[in-house]
Amino acid sequence: MSDFVRHPAGVAGAILLTIIALAVLFGPLVAPYDPQAFHTTVRLQGPSADHWLGTDQFGRDLLSRLLFGARSTIAFGVGATMISVIAGSLIGVTAGVVGGWIDSVIMRGLDGMLAVPDLLFVLLIVTMLGAGTGEAMLAVSIAFTPGMARISRSSVLSIRTREYVLAAVARGESQRYIILSEVIPNAIGPIIVEGTIRVSFAIMIGATLGFLGMGAQPPSTEWGLMVSEARQFMYRSPWVVAVPGLAIAVAAMGFNLFGDALRDAFDPRRSR
Amino acid sequence: MIKSLKQFTKTRSEMVRGMAVAVGLAAVLALPGTGFAQNETPKVGGVLKIAHSTRIATMNVLNLSGPAEYPAIDMLYSGLTRIGMDNHPHPDLAESWSANSDATVFDFKLRPNVTFHDGTPLTSDDVVATFEAIQDPARGASARSVLTMVEKVEAIDNLTVRFTLTVSYADLPVAVAHANARIISAKALAGPKENLENKPNGTGPFKLESYDSSRMTRLVRNDNYFIEGVPYLDAVELHLFPDLTAQSANYLSGNMDVLLAVEQADYDRIDKAPGSNALRVASGRFVNVVMRFDQKPFDDVRVRKALAMSIDRQTLVDVILEGLGRPARDNILSPEYAYVIDSPEIPYDTAAAKQLLADAGYPDGIKIDLVASNRPAIRGQVAIAIKQMALPAGFDINVKSMPHDTYLANYWRKGNFYMAYWGMRSTPDGAFTLLLTSDASYEDTAWNNKEFDAIVAKARSTPDDSERAQLYAEAQKLILRDTPYIIPFFQDVLTASRDGVKGWVVHPLNRVYYIESVWLDRN
Amino acid sequence: MSLGYLTRRLFSVLLVLVIVSFAVFAITMILPGNAAVMILGEYATEDQLLALAEVLGLNRPWYIQYFEWAGNILQADWGMSLRLSLPVGEVVGDAFWNSASLAVTALVTVIIIAIPLGILAALYRGSKVDLGIGLFAYVGTAMPEFVTATLLLVFLAGSAGGYLPAGGFIAPNESFPGFVSHVILPAGTLGLILMAHIARQVRSEMSDVLASDYIRAARLKGLRERTVIRRHALPNSLAPAVAVISLDIGYLLGGIIVVEEIFAWPGLGRLLIYALENRDLPVIQAITLLLAAVYALSNLFSDLVIAALDPRVRY
Repeated sequence: MSDFVRHPAGVAGAILLTIIALAVLFGPLVAPYDPQAFHTTVRLQGPSADHWLGTDQFGRDLLSRLLFGARSTIAFGVGATMISVIAGSLIGVTAGVVGGWIDSVIMRGLDGMLAVPDLLFVLLIVTMLGAGTGEAMLAVSIAFTPGMARISRSSVLSIRTREYVLAAVARGESQRYIILSEVIPNAIGPIIVEGTIRVSFAIMIGATLGFLGMGAQPPSTEWGLMVSEARQFMYRSPWVVAVPGLAIAVAAMGFNLFGDALRDAFDPRRSR
Repeated sequence: MIKSLKQFTKTRSEMVRGMAVAVGLAAVLALPGTGFAQNETPKVGGVLKIAHSTRIATMNVLNLSGPAEYPAIDMLYSGLTRIGMDNHPHPDLAESWSANSDATVFDFKLRPNVTFHDGTPLTSDDVVATFEAIQDPARGASARSVLTMVEKVEAIDNLTVRFTLTVSYADLPVAVAHANARIISAKALAGPKENLENKPNGTGPFKLESYDSSRMTRLVRNDNYFIEGVPYLDAVELHLFPDLTAQSANYLSGNMDVLLAVEQADYDRIDKAPGSNALRVASGRFVNVVMRFDQKPFDDVRVRKALAMSIDRQTLVDVILEGLGRPARDNILSPEYAYVIDSPEIPYDTAAAKQLLADAGYPDGIKIDLVASNRPAIRGQVAIAIKQMALPAGFDINVKSMPHDTYLANYWRKGNFYMAYWGMRSTPDGAFTLLLTSDASYEDTAWNNKEFDAIVAKARSTPDDSERAQLYAEAQKLILRDTPYIIPFFQDVLTASRDGVKGWVVHPLNRVYYIESVWLDRN
Repeated sequence: MSLGYLTRRLFSVLLVLVIVSFAVFAITMILPGNAAVMILGEYATEDQLLALAEVLGLNRPWYIQYFEWAGNILQADWGMSLRLSLPVGEVVGDAFWNSASLAVTALVTVIIIAIPLGILAALYRGSKVDLGIGLFAYVGTAMPEFVTATLLLVFLAGSAGGYLPAGGFIAPNESFPGFVSHVILPAGTLGLILMAHIARQVRSEMSDVLASDYIRAARLKGLRERTVIRRHALPNSLAPAVAVISLDIGYLLGGIIVVEEIFAWPGLGRLLIYALENRDLPVIQAITLLLAAVYALSNLFSDLVIAALDPRVRY
């Protein structure tokens, strides 16, 4: 833990994430306006006393939209990643623990799915399911699951041969006990690290889908959709694009920094 | 620069007299389009570069409908007649026409010595083949719906085509000016479909040199065009920029000469930019709210009226159109149409709307889904705005945006509450029979008003002008009484060209261009 | 490395492609619209739709459509684009070369810039240089392409900056200088995130290697620092960098979709979006297979390169 605190990038990441978490949890409560309400007399204005971050093309308050949108954008990323972590870990741990031909079949299947580049896979699935936040989230979790399965499997494989596991086997512990008390607690580290970094990718893919019109649909306040709708008004008020764009970048960076710091903290072999 | 246009159709008698004057007109005016400054002589030469943002997917003039496809086929093909900036049909391939006394038989005389781009001469057989293809359901021709009254098309001689109609229809010369009713050679129609899509062979002022739908389409001057002296341009290039920001950036930097369709949000910036001239034309183009008569809650006209009163039309024009349009009052005809009547203003009064809803049995308001396709984006924007505006009246509207093809497959003409989008038609009859009569081609509101149907049918074959005006007035009153659609505004058509481009205009129908009269003055 | 391994890998690539093709086919069968709907759009009546669907062969049972398509592929006949009425091979082929020119430019630029950056950061670890490069790396990875592309467009192109063209494409064989001026912005957008990944990876690998006993021994032997780096540290750090590059190719293949759309680059990405919107199944199939094949083969290629660089790896 002290390792972690000494790492400035990790601290920066933690700070960013705290801000994001606050926005997600309390955003809608502290937002000054209804994010959908029009204020047609003050369209496309920059920051002002009434509207701290300015207004968009309908005169909607950008700060309020940002705060409400934190939930859609971040929850999307976290949710999709969590689903893929759970599903992927189940698959990967099973493959790693069971071994044998089941393991081979699963690995073949995973390789197949990993052969298709992420965004392409997501686009195909979203086209099939239809556009929308829920559909996009499902698509991203499906696309991420093979990667998470791979990671958890190799994590399990490397732990299987560790001394403490061998000791437990020698002691005659049941397979269930071994998995639950020895394997999983130690395998979790790399999974969490990878998951945290994946959240930033999920956020970016979600924003990209919103941008392409295949993710969140209007009038959602998802940040990628906000950027997409605002681009044609960019020259009249750069704030409409800059505000959500920077928000996406900050969120992605926060998860990235934090995840990297976690990785450095967890991995004892890494030289300082 | 706003041009407003009146009197959409000629009176019937003028039409029937057959335009003997047309021959003279053809030689002098030649171009039913533009007026350039009197003391400027057009210079010959140069390449015009047009920037557009939707792909030219096909050159099959029978069924194309893309915004960038229309200028392309306008340059490649000619029709029997062509709509001018005065909104009257002018001679194009037909140098004159005449009809019998009750307008059930029309004879069109074709110009002599016209050749297709591949050299084959134009004869009446090509015209016959074209109109038979238009009427063939398997071809999916867009012009079919305006030519339902044509019973037979036959070649009387090499250069004369006779149309026999099932009813009296004085506006046939307008109907055959339809942008998708251009004349294709009989040989091409008999050949493989791919050739129609990719190797257009027309009689227009330009011919196709290269066609890469993902990037650029290039047309070059047809030296054998049947009108002397035009086109002035050596070549025209249509460049695709799918991203609107990149498109306008290329135009403003001078890389492109014309911006085919300007977005409302950019209009002001493009107009004020040095070297650029934006152009707007009032048009009868609209976004409409479809509410089906045969399902709750819109089976009760009070609910329809309540929603109509819950929409602040002027605000929609200000916010969504950036002022580049006019508020509308649910009449499908914009002020430019012939025979249009004044519609009473519909105030934005949510208190009264709430009361009406209560009267109709919805004291707690109505919760309902509003479907909007994402193409064009303005549908969703209007839907969102309506949602906000109608809230105080008790309408709890949930906007459901979706990809265009999902909408076409699942909601268009089936759903009970969705946003539609239509361009302008040439005549009131065109508008009514496209959407509002019981057997209209794209009827989707289940109005099925027999009285309206009867009026429209009668007006079609009425020779007397004032009687027609009266009939159309009654028809519009029915529309205003029952509100088959909510039409909140009419959207201007917007385009832009750079200094040095002369003669670039746009027609409110937004499917007609006069590029053969465009010339470049680059110095 | 054995021939058997190579054969097995190639076979599994093939298997993967078959699975992918079937999955894509299944996906498009479930879609609500079809190509006929998109072609006729709002001008369609029921009978027109049926007639056109008949002409396009969309009314036949799915397995017939799939096997006919699969059979044709094996004879190198990729079918006709439903929307564009052109042979798929032609349409996708042109797009492929355009995308390739963009992707290769991005990749080459990235490798030339990012590897030295990573090495620098590792060598001057903890210094301002390291911090600066690290900052650049983090910011680079955090911005989605559409944000980066928009910023580049606004500040460097078109009327504002006037320096570079705002999108568009000129083929390298038409005009090389034209190609270069048009490729800078899209390749830069694509490259930014890749540069960040690769620089970070090289830095961390290089740092590990530099701290290892093996390097310490080389230094103790009295070798010059430059030789130490060149002959001992570098080859060992590069292997993982190659692995990251191959992973990033997957990212690149996704990134071109947005970048091509924004910069009007007529490549596979743009074509794919258009085909998805229009339910143009033959084109969707062809592009997906092509991209999956490129990715799989590049993975295979990078595994071979790693094997060549690192004698410990044995297949």
